[in-house]
Amino acid sequence: MFANKRTIIIGLDGVPYSLVKDLSARGIMPNMSRLIKDGIFRQMESSIPDISPVAWSSIITGNNPGEHGIYGFMDLVPGTYSLYFPNFTNLHGIPFWNYRNGRKSIIINVPSTYPAGQLNGILISGFVAPDLEKAVYPPSLVNELKRLNYHIDVDSEKGHQSMELFIDDLNRTLEARIETYRYLWDKEDWGLFMLVFTGTDRLEHFLWKAYEDNTHPYHNTFLKYFNTIDEAIGEIAWKTHPEDSLIILSDHGFERMKKTIYINYYLRKTGFLKLKKTPDTSYDDIDEETRAFALEPNRIYVNTATKYPRGSVKEKDKDVIIGDLTDAFNALEVEGEKVIKQVYRKEEIYTGPLLDRAPDLVLISNKGFDLKARLQAEMLTENTIFTGKHTQNDAFLVVKGSEGCYAPENPSVFDVFGILESLG
Amino acid sequence: MERLDELESKSIYIIREAYYYFKDIGALWSIGKDSTALLWLCRKAFFGRIPFPIIHIDTGYKFSQIYSFRDKYSNEWELNLRIVRNEEAIRKGIGPHNNDKLKCCGELKTNALKKLVTEGGYKAILLGIRRDEHGIRAKERYFSPRDLQFAWDYKNQPPELWDQYKSESEDGTHVRVHPLLHWTELDIWNYIKREDIPFIELYRAVDGKRHRSIGCYTCCEAIDSNAKDIDSIVAELQATKTQERTGRSQDKEDAYMMQKLRALGYM
Repeated sequence: MFANKRTIIIGLDGVPYSLVKDLSARGIMPNMSRLIKDGIFRQMESSIPDISPVAWSSIITGNNPGEHGIYGFMDLVPGTYSLYFPNFTNLHGIPFWNYRNGRKSIIINVPSTYPAGQLNGILISGFVAPDLEKAVYPPSLVNELKRLNYHIDVDSEKGHQSMELFIDDLNRTLEARIETYRYLWDKEDWGLFMLVFTGTDRLEHFLWKAYEDNTHPYHNTFLKYFNTIDEAIGEIAWKTHPEDSLIILSDHGFERMKKTIYINYYLRKTGFLKLKKTPDTSYDDIDEETRAFALEPNRIYVNTATKYPRGSVKEKDKDVIIGDLTDAFNALEVEGEKVIKQVYRKEEIYTGPLLDRAPDLVLISNKGFDLKARLQAEMLTENTIFTGKHTQNDAFLVVKGSEGCYAPENPSVFDVFGILESLG
Repeated sequence: MERLDELESKSIYIIREAYYYFKDIGALWSIGKDSTALLWLCRKAFFGRIPFPIIHIDTGYKFSQIYSFRDKYSNEWELNLRIVRNEEAIRKGIGPHNNDKLKCCGELKTNALKKLVTEGGYKAILLGIRRDEHGIRAKERYFSPRDLQFAWDYKNQPPELWDQYKSESEDGTHVRVHPLLHWTELDIWNYIKREDIPFIELYRAVDGKRHRSIGCYTCCEAIDSNAKDIDSIVAELQATKTQERTGRSQDKEDAYMMQKLRALGYM
């Protein structure tokens, strides 16, 4: 074992295996191309749901949501219909950097690590982080980050106003993130360095179409962004020592979006969900007659009497309702195409002490259909401004470690923790 | 000294110091329990006659009881009451039904106050916020400077404690003074009881519901409660584990989260 052996992890939020393969082959990501030849390159499965808070919480703890308790960007306070936004303090389980003794860990921009807590090292929280002051440990680093013009995330609202402004912000955010990693890389003596780029996901949400269509006005912008990311990867790889291990990974994949499908609207139309008022509705408007409702993006909850203030479904009837819901989702068709590929019951995909907080069903869609709960929806489908959507089965993993490092043939986000352990 | 006396004397000291030092000051009165207690302390500090304006930011969406309470006691206590509204935003139709909560609050509350501070030449504003109220407020200080953009640069705050508060503020900035920072929700109710301070009826339970924190009717929800008088409110607070602002949908961090998530299609 080398005494100075270090581990470096680079995260590319939402970047699919297929895109890495494609852009590596086309010379747009030449550094990636070299790294995937030298190391292990695998397609990786994301969590269910395939969204950042769930996937990254699984990556950093090695736990499934039944153990770490993060099922989405939002959840209901147990025993109520009140929405809250789980954050790092709600995570059950210990992130891998807390297991490392001795040398410091530098953790930059891992989603769902807000507010920043104490660690032996430095942590800058990722999306969603409302307040930079609370997103940085130790707090003495805040002024330096401000000087570097560090922003936690791209302002995606700009994407709704002007693509030019959005791209400008995307580039500035990336630039400052790169400057920040450079500053911290040299400043500290560390054993673990983790840096996540999240602009990739934001770019893909708005401009996936620009990637696929080479006549799109932002086609080159899209490629240039990935080229810049690749340069940063190359720079980091160049700075590593021969005995260091390097992991590059994403938390989920992406694909072209055909249509957004609003689940709660479908539940209303099929009689499972009844709201006391529309529009301007909230989960507090769920009526007693409701049998099931959805939370973002694709989680289905049976309105059971034991769990909710106006829950009306008795435990003994729950299985029947779940069967009816499954039939209803399997029957959902839009423009002649089946929308739902798979309906999972919670016991099939989750295990652990927090299983009772899990959604009763989670849906996986067929290609191109983007499922959103959207309680306020007044229509079943919509073509939104977004042209890309997440995929569950097409994240990627690159491992370039010392001999004996381990990576399963078909890895999932839950395996990353074990791979890190094998690297020592 | 008894706890309430101690709290009271510290607050009165801060109020008097602020007036002595800044002269051009005003106090914000939302008509809620905290700012009404603040007003009570201001009256005590100046023996019944408050020598500076009392400011009510009127969004137009306040509970009707708020308006009647305001007018009654403003007369009775002979207040120099200034009512501010962001007329321009109201004319443009900005409000809770057309905009998200962050935008609505930003225009009808923050910008209304901004306008008043700039036009009225206030050097300091007294506010009835408390440290235990809300996460973000835990970092507040008794004297909290705001810059020209109204941003709160909480790294550059003058050093506490506040016998050192006389750091000069730049022109065009104002200082927010928080005389109630050290009070808790329970202290406020105990003080209201001891001093027999009038309070708005919305805090009392009707049909099993009462308001614990009030603002605009569009963004406040009553909590389940049977507390019809101060003693039962105090008893309820001693037993509760939920947060004071549970019924207030405009929690800024939550509103921020929603806005960011909505921008990516997740709401």
